[in-house]
Amino acid sequence: METLSLLADGFSVALTPSNLFLAVVGCILGTVIGALPGLGPSNGVAILIPLAFSLGLDATAALVLMTAVYYGAMYGGRISSILLNIPGDEPALMTTLDGYPMAKAGRASDALVLSGVASFVGAFLATIGLILLAPMLARIAFLFGPAEYFALYLLAFSTLGGIASNNQAKAAIAACIGLGISMIGLDNNTGIARLTMGELHLMDGVDFLVAIVGLFAVTEVFVFIESHGKNSALGVKLGKITIPVKDILRCKWTMLRSTFIGFIAGVLPGAGASLGSFMAYSAEKSLVRDNSQFGKGDVRGVAAPEAGNNAAAGGALVPMLTLGVPGSGTTAVLLALLMTLNITPGPTLFTDRPDVVWGLIASLLIANVVLLLLNVPMVRLFVHILSVPPWVLLPGVTMISFVGIFSLSGSTFDLLLMIGFGAMGFFLRKLDVPTVPIILGILLGNNMEDSLRRAMVISGGEWTYLFSSGIAIGLWVAAVLGFVAPMFLRGKIRKPQAITD
Amino acid sequence: MSDRLFGLVVIIVAAGYIFAASLTEVSFLSDPVGSKTFPYLIGGVAILAALAVMLRPDAEPDWPSAGTFARIALAVAVLVAYAYMLRPFGFIIPTALAAGMLSYQIRPRAIAAMLTGVGLSVGLFAIFKFALGLGLVAFPKGWF
Amino acid sequence: MLKTVVKRLAAGVVLSVGLAGAASAAECIAPANPGGGWDFTCRTIGKIMYDIGAVDEPIQVTNMAGGGGGLAFAHVVNERNTDEDLIVAASSATATRLAQNKYGGATYKDVRFLGAIGADPGVIVVAADAPYQSLTDLLDAVKADPTSVTFAGGSAVGGYDHLKVLMALGRAGFDDIRAVKYIGLDGGGDAITQAIGGHVQAVTGDMSEVVGFLKSGDVRVLAVFTDDRIPGFDDIPTAKEQGIDVVAVNWRGLYVPKGISEEAYQKWSDALAAVGKSDEWKAAMEANGLAPFFKVGPEFEGWLAGVIEEIAQLSRDIGVIQ
Repeated sequence: METLSLLADGFSVALTPSNLFLAVVGCILGTVIGALPGLGPSNGVAILIPLAFSLGLDATAALVLMTAVYYGAMYGGRISSILLNIPGDEPALMTTLDGYPMAKAGRASDALVLSGVASFVGAFLATIGLILLAPMLARIAFLFGPAEYFALYLLAFSTLGGIASNNQAKAAIAACIGLGISMIGLDNNTGIARLTMGELHLMDGVDFLVAIVGLFAVTEVFVFIESHGKNSALGVKLGKITIPVKDILRCKWTMLRSTFIGFIAGVLPGAGASLGSFMAYSAEKSLVRDNSQFGKGDVRGVAAPEAGNNAAAGGALVPMLTLGVPGSGTTAVLLALLMTLNITPGPTLFTDRPDVVWGLIASLLIANVVLLLLNVPMVRLFVHILSVPPWVLLPGVTMISFVGIFSLSGSTFDLLLMIGFGAMGFFLRKLDVPTVPIILGILLGNNMEDSLRRAMVISGGEWTYLFSSGIAIGLWVAAVLGFVAPMFLRGKIRKPQAITD
Repeated sequence: MSDRLFGLVVIIVAAGYIFAASLTEVSFLSDPVGSKTFPYLIGGVAILAALAVMLRPDAEPDWPSAGTFARIALAVAVLVAYAYMLRPFGFIIPTALAAGMLSYQIRPRAIAAMLTGVGLSVGLFAIFKFALGLGLVAFPKGWF
Repeated sequence: MLKTVVKRLAAGVVLSVGLAGAASAAECIAPANPGGGWDFTCRTIGKIMYDIGAVDEPIQVTNMAGGGGGLAFAHVVNERNTDEDLIVAASSATATRLAQNKYGGATYKDVRFLGAIGADPGVIVVAADAPYQSLTDLLDAVKADPTSVTFAGGSAVGGYDHLKVLMALGRAGFDDIRAVKYIGLDGGGDAITQAIGGHVQAVTGDMSEVVGFLKSGDVRVLAVFTDDRIPGFDDIPTAKEQGIDVVAVNWRGLYVPKGISEEAYQKWSDALAAVGKSDEWKAAMEANGLAPFFKVGPEFEGWLAGVIEEIAQLSRDIGVIQ
């Protein structure tokens, strides 16, 4: 009951007409920013922080605007994933796998509506989880030491083979490319540069956004030059836009499961939204009875990552608010915002500044509802992107990508790197080497290495430390099963399909 | 054949990677795992996976014709030039040129491509500058 | 992951460096992403400078992360050497990296340091349920069995958080620094989380990172590395009191390009001094766990030269640099 009255206080702060207006503006801006390749939730929020200050917003209003942008960008990332096969930001990466095939089959609007609903379910339930469980959940972060994190990353990689490729060896090569790239830069454990070849721009490593935009957006341009725009989702005849009630209902358990997985991934500071959407997708693929359509336009393959990444976005607020530890890039920006507003998140925030916490939670709920209401009707608008002729759309996407990447560091070097990734992506695509594992490798490689090395420092090189807790053992078992199971199940699952083909 | 060649390239790159990793300075304060173990492992796994690809190659992909490759190479050249021009020449002119050339490569109609280039350049500038508030510079300093 | 993720936060703001440059207002470069100490320095000092009228226009903050501040340092030295409208956030980390030659051969003489107007005191922290009651308890435990204690900090191996532990152990008569177990995490908050979870035994960090956990009763601060106890935290003993003569604070300050005129240097150091003396700054320091620390202009330059020399010597002693 106390929670409800606190929440009511939060709403009374956040629900003023001007704040509501800011929420709508933030949601629209966020959706646009999320959909543009190269601009994702975290730089979206960062871009708009100066705006919040120049408008002279007070703390609550600034928070309302920023959370609307944050959630808006999480929603928006899926749009370009589905329509163009170009993830608008890294958590939307997994949505390309089934979303784009759906669009190619003329079901773009279904995919967009479904993913919008999945995003809403994920984000909404995660916010509820945040309300009810935040202080308790913060304790989960304490349970995860280096050994547990290492096992978690291992689990992520062990299920890679089952994703997006017919050829396991090629998926392994792709993962190695990503992991190899992630090693470039300063070695966190010694402070010494590795594999940078003396290039100062590489000291901080390769930004995965440069890789994503290169491997997806720039590659797409080359593919279009080759095919003159044939065999894509562009110009595919679209059916009438309806709400795919049947698909939504079919995905209800998918959404709930994925929300749970995503939320937990978000709560762990070392995991984040990308891992949330990835784990949700691979868990769903291995749990459902008939997964033969995954990667070819299965509706559950669209719902799972979207529910997962939006739930993770909500979950990531738990450690940010209760421990002052940002669980994702975007929460790091929100943390910065809170600190510039003279609010220091930490274990005492809930008791010291309930107005801020509950105002924030209320604005999250508001942003969510606004986004759902905006996103479903806006699908009509989004799918019009597909009727833009490719000779306008593709140069446009490229230019947007350039500006997005240029805004990271203002460096020409990153742009050249991005073009390099684009060219590499073209060859890899021709050779049927999946690019998703590359991005995951870049995203998680460093963390995986760091956690192993930290664990070994703590234990003095004793390997058994990696299995020293129940959580670690459980994750190892899951990882081994995740790696081995597909090898045995493959024969059983693929065979009947071969007959129907 | 393509897969075999790909496997070979991966092996050469992985070997180079392992060599580059072996040049990493060793810190006086080293941890039990060290700076080189992970890069070695990655290189090693890549080599094994590449061998597997070479032994059991997939069907040959459809490679584009030499002419198409030339057009893709030209597109790469346009993008590289664009990357270098963005800073000194402001946003509008390089963007119009690059977008126009890319458009021409996807559909070779000169006038449409020119219009696309100029339209995209001005339109995107307006969006980035005024809707998102990025600090883009339209033209080099001192032109107007 | 976080580090790379966070890198792009600067996004729009950095664009102004990349593409704009025509802005007439002064600029403060935070050589890191939003949220860290340098970002705080730029935003807070910049805002107060404008609010108290020390500058005419709001100061624009630019985040330029890279190479632990090295990218911004190189940018200032090579491209902005005579820009009189530029200030750059600096801290002990800047000095440490300059002393350890981490900025590609650049030295502290390549820019002009303006001053520091606050400092985040270094602390050693353990979880509330840890057996160590004082700094000496902890150091004795390390001396008895170095494998029994792992330290966690927010900086990489060889960074300032790590050096603080080594200095303290050195003063306590323990020199086998290779035996000391230290892990570098993404930030002080991460390190404390690991300590509360029991994965590591002690945290070396800054006061501001600890305050929230201290209030909630999750941790115990064994010592602060200041000359005197910190106002507001009078029950926390200094390391000196416990016989460990180490003073290590993370000062917050600014530097400017070397090539600017003496008048411009004077103008900026006056503005910084005015901020340091303002009530707004006092309030900001209090809110962020900073202790008073005021050295501006030539006095600061002289003091810093000595500090950098000391860190360089220590780093050579422990083998972090050759």
